[in-house]
Amino acid sequence: MGYLFDGDNWEWLWTENNASFLLEAFLVNVEIAVIAIVLALVLGLGLALASIAQARLVRLTAKGWVDVFRNLPLIFLILYLALSLPDSLKDFWAANAPGFLPEALRGKLVLAGIIGLVLYNSAVLAEIMRAGILSLDRGQREAAAALGLSYRQQMRHVLLPQGLRRMVPATVSQLITLNKDTTLVSIIAVQEVVRSGRVLSNTAGNPFVGGGDIAAPILQVMIFIGLLFVLVNLALSRLSRRLELREGRRTAGARRVSVSGIEDQAVAPT
Amino acid sequence: MFDILTEHFDAFSSGLWVTTRLVGLSLLIALVLGTLVAALRVAPSAWLQRLGGVYVEIFRNIPLLVLLFISFAGLRRAGVGIGAWTAGIASLGIYTSAYVAEALRSGVFSVSKGQREAALSLGFSQAETLRRIVLPQAFRTVIAPLGSITIAMIKNSAIVGASLLALPDLLKEARIVNSNTFQTTEAFFWAAVGYLLLTLSATVLFRTLEARLAIRR
Repeated sequence: MGYLFDGDNWEWLWTENNASFLLEAFLVNVEIAVIAIVLALVLGLGLALASIAQARLVRLTAKGWVDVFRNLPLIFLILYLALSLPDSLKDFWAANAPGFLPEALRGKLVLAGIIGLVLYNSAVLAEIMRAGILSLDRGQREAAAALGLSYRQQMRHVLLPQGLRRMVPATVSQLITLNKDTTLVSIIAVQEVVRSGRVLSNTAGNPFVGGGDIAAPILQVMIFIGLLFVLVNLALSRLSRRLELREGRRTAGARRVSVSGIEDQAVAPT
Repeated sequence: MFDILTEHFDAFSSGLWVTTRLVGLSLLIALVLGTLVAALRVAPSAWLQRLGGVYVEIFRNIPLLVLLFISFAGLRRAGVGIGAWTAGIASLGIYTSAYVAEALRSGVFSVSKGQREAALSLGFSQAETLRRIVLPQAFRTVIAPLGSITIAMIKNSAIVGASLLALPDLLKEARIVNSNTFQTTEAFFWAAVGYLLLTLSATVLFRTLEARLAIRR
């Protein structure tokens, strides 16, 4: 305990630009998360719609795809993609990545990280959305059909708005998981916050690498990084709870829907 | 495709066994710790509830990879180094215990109030009521979420082997086979089969448990 709270071991945090070095790296995580969230939500909705499509072949293919990708470890996908994405694609990205992205996001390997995050999370989100749509009372669909709405109109105006709204808590939980999982790209050498933390704890206190004479023990550095994630994710889950309370008043009595393979279930307040 | 499996069968099977042990031991820790924290969360004292809440919020929102760095490299630097296995099992177990605690807590709330009142009026103490009456029923209502948590844990176990811990789990073995043979797709394909095998058997196991034990509400 003495070691943990010893002022000397925290001095790195307010010397030179160490804190901003970590915060900038954390921003890379946030950017990766935002890109992956947008793409995963879009692809996930497409997969969810395909997995309840009327055409049998489309439905089975989508289901198979979703089941494979949500049952594989994310880090497995990222490492596989990092090893097997064609060099032409990686070089193309490194050469043509838009300039407004930070340097870490213009590297060769970041593509593997983002594609992995999107493949995995779109499959999980598709399953969440599918469960939400299927949890609706069949009367909803029958009534929409009886009113003469086409399949497309039924989806767009009746089923999706209700089904997706019901799954907001589960979706947000998964997005929090995604946010945490952005640290995994450090394993394929993308310069994000965990990797920066390791660099910091190696270089700080090492005058030969230009880190000054103040030690940054990895324990304290990692605790600081962990707190950053806890803060951001807590804010996200507070936000979702507020959405949930608001929805709760509108859609009282929604059933609890469970989706296998995600840690955090949508637990409806009863 | 098949010759890489037959030639490197030992690597794949030992990796699968390491992953299985990692998951099994961590699950044990997660269940024990999760139950204790869930008990705190529903304790009759506001301070204990808050303590449980802080535990859950911290370990549910911190990346597992960061937890692994804290428990392995961090503690080693602090002079209380623990081995790779201990660090891996403890991190994965503690991380998952927060989810177990949340699932159990919702299970406790689904047990009807009358059960608890009846037990208290029969002279059971608070702790006994929780242990003998409420928790057994809570466990049986949250079998499905516990199954999800276990499946997620199998997937998370790959992070342990991929981090700086030198645990030769399934993913690690696949990477070793890959670097020896340069047959990336084949090596990863068989590791994928191993992971799907594990998640599938967990699904079947929990579905059976659910069919036998679950209380539907």
